[in-house]
Amino acid sequence: MSFYECLKALPEGSDSASRLALAAKHLGYQGIVVCNAEPEKTFWPRAVSNVKGIDVAFGVQVNAANPRLLKSRISFLRGRFPFILVHASSDEVIRAACEDPSVDVLVPADEARYPLGIASAKAAKQNQVAVGFNLSPLIRFRGSSRSRWLDIQRRNIELARKFDLSMIITTNARSHLDLRSPRDLMAMAEVAGFEPSEARAALKLPERLLALNKRNWLGPGVELL
Amino acid sequence: MRSKLPVLRPRRRYIAFEVDSEETVFARDLIGEIHSAQVSLFGDKGAAQNRLKLITFDGRLGLLRCSHAHIQETRAALASIYSICGIRAACHVKGVSGTIKSATEKYIPKLCKISLESDGRRIELEEVSGCIIHIHGHEIDLCPDDRNWTKGSDARYLGLTSFDLSGGHDDADGTADGL
Repeated sequence: MSFYECLKALPEGSDSASRLALAAKHLGYQGIVVCNAEPEKTFWPRAVSNVKGIDVAFGVQVNAANPRLLKSRISFLRGRFPFILVHASSDEVIRAACEDPSVDVLVPADEARYPLGIASAKAAKQNQVAVGFNLSPLIRFRGSSRSRWLDIQRRNIELARKFDLSMIITTNARSHLDLRSPRDLMAMAEVAGFEPSEARAALKLPERLLALNKRNWLGPGVELL
Repeated sequence: MRSKLPVLRPRRRYIAFEVDSEETVFARDLIGEIHSAQVSLFGDKGAAQNRLKLITFDGRLGLLRCSHAHIQETRAALASIYSICGIRAACHVKGVSGTIKSATEKYIPKLCKISLESDGRRIELEEVSGCIIHIHGHEIDLCPDDRNWTKGSDARYLGLTSFDLSGGHDDADGTADGL
């Protein structure tokens, strides 16, 4: 069982990468992926080498206002980072991210008003883009905003099941107080509509993506040996 | 006289949990927040089927009683706690057991008191500076001079480790007198 979590470190979160690694190790994670939007500004990334017993990978989160910016940012970052997570806040960016095989995970924004479209889901399947489910609104929101968010997630899960998309569960933690243990996350995912086996597979997926990205891919399905 | 037949007795589970918070949390505030989270997530009907009772809580570790059929729901309710009386906190389940005795023996070690008072030591680095609030092992909570550092997460303190301050040397940690 190797569960991984995607999170944000100082200065975008309030905890350093090493503190998050210590907290994640204490909670039972085997690895974390630090996904800052500006990874070069991460506070003391070298300190994580002192935290033993947990894998720490440095990925990147891409926030782009339009598809053109998204494409240029991804082509710039793909060779430099083993994990690219796109945080998409508009339909155009979601569609562009689904059509780009360089994207590892697409996480629709919390405030998204509509679920994923069928065209986007088909494109994501074709380009092997995983869909990320950020469960932090389940923790932060209460009342009508949370029920609206749960409805959108339920429809996204149905779509992901229909098109057999890979899924990832994350809390996008910015501090050790936002982190939840893998079993707690699975319980929360079941509330959001996941099956227990899906939730387990979703927590393991980042490790598989990191291992795949270490290999030398020329294009989708073509590897240079 | 027994009030119920043994087969009708509700089966219970005891969940040992740990509260990670920025300040001291009281039991009455915690159980209020747990009930509020449960009702908010599962409604009155769900809360009626799974009556939660706080058995013990010492400020950090506690024991919660729930129905044996609703353990996952209780985990989700505990995990959905964001703050307790305005104090940022997180509840982590340590384990589940069938009796209070075994839950206490397995999951609740002897209490070690953690002080949340500032000891007056400061950290002055190029990137961050502030007062040390709390040190536990390698973990350090720092009250930053610039509040913008904790803006995104609603937390009051920055979470650092002694590794961040050592600058690659095991014997120097960036503080005035060492940790």
